[in-house]
Amino acid sequence: MTRSSFLKWLIGIFGVAAVAGVVYPVLRFLKPPAAVSSAIGQVVNAGALGSFPAGRLTLLTVHDQPAAVQNLNGKYAVYSLICTHLGCVTGISGDSFTCPCHGSEFSPTGAVTHGPATLPLPTYHSQVQNGSLLVGPIDLSHAAYPTWYKGEFT
Amino acid sequence: MSASAGPVPQQTPSEAKRRKPGLVGWVVNRLGMDDLMEDQYNRVVPFHATNYIYCFGGIALVLFVILAATGIMLAVYYQPTPDTAYQSVLNISTHVQFGWWIRSIHRWSAGGMVLLVFVHMLRVFFTGAYKKPRELNWLTGVALLLITMGFGFTGYLLPWDQKAYWATKVGTDIAGSVPIFGHFLLVSLRGGEQISAATLGRFFDLHVLVLPAIIIILLLGHFFMIRRHGISGRL
Repeated sequence: MTRSSFLKWLIGIFGVAAVAGVVYPVLRFLKPPAAVSSAIGQVVNAGALGSFPAGRLTLLTVHDQPAAVQNLNGKYAVYSLICTHLGCVTGISGDSFTCPCHGSEFSPTGAVTHGPATLPLPTYHSQVQNGSLLVGPIDLSHAAYPTWYKGEFT
Repeated sequence: MSASAGPVPQQTPSEAKRRKPGLVGWVVNRLGMDDLMEDQYNRVVPFHATNYIYCFGGIALVLFVILAATGIMLAVYYQPTPDTAYQSVLNISTHVQFGWWIRSIHRWSAGGMVLLVFVHMLRVFFTGAYKKPRELNWLTGVALLLITMGFGFTGYLLPWDQKAYWATKVGTDIAGSVPIFGHFLLVSLRGGEQISAATLGRFFDLHVLVLPAIIIILLLGHFFMIRRHGISGRL
């Protein structure tokens, strides 16, 4: 291979990469975002109970949204990790929740222990069946929760 | 094509030599673009203009092309009504795949274009490139600067958040302080005495229809005159 043809190949490869780097995001952009709300009613199997050790929170993704499973001595609860304040993803510290954006803190039961959030973290309907944890729709009945829990942005 | 009834056109040897092969050549030969293209290829950039300060206008043009492309894409998801504008922008930034990327490119290129157009103006001013016979190009340049700022002003309202609302309130108030015509300007921009759905509709119309049409016409004139005059002489 001559130096000239090598450079031509190199330019071609970089050219294709550059074009692909623009075309790929553009095509992804044009694809309508997945309708999260259509999946929200579905019940998903979150896994065997053994994967949720007691005394600490286990991270989980439910309908593409971040959540955490809490095991209080065999009593299971699934909390949404989306802060009720402005929709950031809260972090977990031990058995409670802390939002990195504006410092909201939630107790292990999801109640607000530190503002600016005013509403408790919502939970998902969940039940144990055949040794597995089934997670259903998010329970938004206890307060006037923001619409982002339903995947609504428009 | 060879079966046409008329006489076969005569070609001088040099014309035959210039005929280009391939698909591009097919188009070029049919439109007789060889001479035009050759004129473009053979232009010499004067040595004093091979300098970065002569690039600002070109960079501004690149940014304009980027803004047009990303703007067309943003218009796919943007909804210009007061009830849905903010939510649709939020949707683009948080939910549409690569939406944050497209919107950020649009936003940063917009700021960059205003800056580059202004710096380009400074270059033209301090190198004296506006002098005879280039006065007309300076004038179109002034219009292009104002239109670029018009793009910025109208685009700023479209997210329809608090900052957008109050910036537009202040901006249109300033237009309202013009003597005699002030009130007419204010209600024409706002579509009423107050900022409302009519204002959003008008700004959206200006941002995506009126200003692009005007800027493209002015840009073509601007570039035509650059070609006509050539790059201005050295200091």
